[in-house]
Amino acid sequence: MEKHKKILEYTLSSLLRRRYKNLAIITVFSFIVAALYSILFLTHSLKKEALTVLKEAPELIVQKVSGGRHDLIPTDYMKRIQEIYGVGRIIPRYWGYYYDAITDSNYTLMGINGTHVLHSNSKDNENYPSPIPLPQGEGARGRVKDVFSDENIKGLKLLNGRMPSNRKECAIGKGVSDVRFTGIDGEIFLIDSKGKVLTFHVVGVFASESAILTNDLIVINKDDILELFGMPSDRATDIAVEVYNELEIPFVASKIREILPDTRPIMKGEIIRTYETLFNWRSGVIFTMFLGALLAFCILAWDKATGLSAEERQEIGILKAIGWETGDVLELKFWEGIVISFTSILTGMIIAYIHIFFLGASLFAPVLRGWSVLFPPFRLIPYVDLYQVFVVLFLTVIPYVASTIIPSWKAAITDPDTVMRG
Amino acid sequence: MDIIIKTENVTKIFNPGMSDEVKAITDVSIEIKRGEVVVLKGPSGSGKTTLLSLIGCITRPTEGRVIVNGKNVAKLQERFLTGIRQKTFGFVFQQFNLIRSISVIENIMLPLYPTNIKLSAIKKRAESIMEKLGISNKKDFKVQRLSGGEQQRAAIARSLINEPEIILADEPTAHLDTNLSEEIMRIFQRLNEDGKTIVIATHDPFIYERQFIQRTIEMRDGVVKNILNKNHDV
Repeated sequence: MEKHKKILEYTLSSLLRRRYKNLAIITVFSFIVAALYSILFLTHSLKKEALTVLKEAPELIVQKVSGGRHDLIPTDYMKRIQEIYGVGRIIPRYWGYYYDAITDSNYTLMGINGTHVLHSNSKDNENYPSPIPLPQGEGARGRVKDVFSDENIKGLKLLNGRMPSNRKECAIGKGVSDVRFTGIDGEIFLIDSKGKVLTFHVVGVFASESAILTNDLIVINKDDILELFGMPSDRATDIAVEVYNELEIPFVASKIREILPDTRPIMKGEIIRTYETLFNWRSGVIFTMFLGALLAFCILAWDKATGLSAEERQEIGILKAIGWETGDVLELKFWEGIVISFTSILTGMIIAYIHIFFLGASLFAPVLRGWSVLFPPFRLIPYVDLYQVFVVLFLTVIPYVASTIIPSWKAAITDPDTVMRG
Repeated sequence: MDIIIKTENVTKIFNPGMSDEVKAITDVSIEIKRGEVVVLKGPSGSGKTTLLSLIGCITRPTEGRVIVNGKNVAKLQERFLTGIRQKTFGFVFQQFNLIRSISVIENIMLPLYPTNIKLSAIKKRAESIMEKLGISNKKDFKVQRLSGGEQQRAAIARSLINEPEIILADEPTAHLDTNLSEEIMRIFQRLNEDGKTIVIATHDPFIYERQFIQRTIEMRDGVVKNILNKNHDV
């Protein structure tokens, strides 16, 4: 024990002696690790966030399709679906996207029944009666739409005020509030499908904690959304279907397709898979961007693996000549590798954590979060996958430590005289 | 006096079979008795350092046997050689071979780091040796801040920390002026009086003309030319 303690002490003093070289290695190493962990943290956190959102969502959503495109669905389809065995609640959802030319932004609008007032932190939330769906907070084109239920609405926090209970009232997301320079008791103007200006009184602003869902959201009365988008009163955007037995969802979906051939039932599992594919693809794009950095790291590791400096070789020769065993030299080099790689890993991990969860992934969030004009401020809830942490740890620490030990081992098994002569 | 070191027909070839092959020593057979002070003398390139390295187990012979304390070390595995280097020899190198940027005392303590002796005990031993060699006031200095003589004394101190039976010194006065050389030789003389066997490789007449030197082995072109024993040819 005493022996290992002294070797460890010598390791630290040895690292300090070559502080500039080691600092340079730690800097490059940390940068690579920070980049890798940033991608993993962000992807994982977004996936997790998306999955959390989808957790309470209906198992099945039914859309009408016309000419291969999503169309408004007749609400009387609900009766047909209700006849299928195993189906629970059926909920019509009213939502859509609104382009605001004034601020060059896209908002997500949703309509609720508005029969009940939802206050922030109010116990009334639990009794919220209307099972109205809540669309996702981001933009539209080419993206997967989530399904939301009244449970999600209950889960959303209001920073101030309440949910709209009357016509021409609205609750808005933080992003909308910011671009429109408005807040509680303010007003917001929207232009309907006929070109008429509708004025809404702002009665609530969503808290920034739920920004990923609510940043571009405007919640208004159901009748207001029908008026704004010019939707017929017997149509909804889509229908959320509850199925009692999870195992029967594929069966119910195929039954719906059979009885309503112009519809497209979307299962929650499909949405989750699409999300995962999407984020995996995007993280792949960033990985490609960082391929150069990874290559630099490989060159660094290779450089270390293929040679020692003359000074390092001489030191190994001296240590051997004065009585150090090959194993002692390898232990010294092992600790050197461990100290450098773990310092780099820890530094890289902390940088990545701050970058993703405190600075909103400012360096590459645009690639990962996708299309939208009103980007949420991106304060993601930290979700760290330990498996991924360990994978990166093993993929970097082991090659680095090996690249430190191998050339030292070569020098240590050579006659000290030969090593010292160079 | 019993024989502590013996070489039998030792030949050392560096880079054998390569274009830069060098035959450093050829067919060298010598004996060194316990407690003797022996000088290997000869011009540069005569093979003194190579013979010293072979005796000190820091290189292996291409041919022949090197016997230390009755044991042939030429074919021993590396781990056994390490033990012999650690317990039997104290090496003073021509270029001092101190590790730069660490303190003098750390350099001196270094041979005992991979042992289970407590750091405090090693430190005590190092301080005592430094005291004897007159460098205790420089213990926390970095090596590069020492003069040549001080570096040489630090190198000698390091060779003594493991209390070796045999001290091997390669050109110990090469970088020193006459006064410092005198001082270093007095140290070797004291060590010999304490019972150490000392083998010094040098081409400096100042060393091999010293009174306490018992034998001189003259080398030239990698072979032993002459062995002088207290003014009597052998």
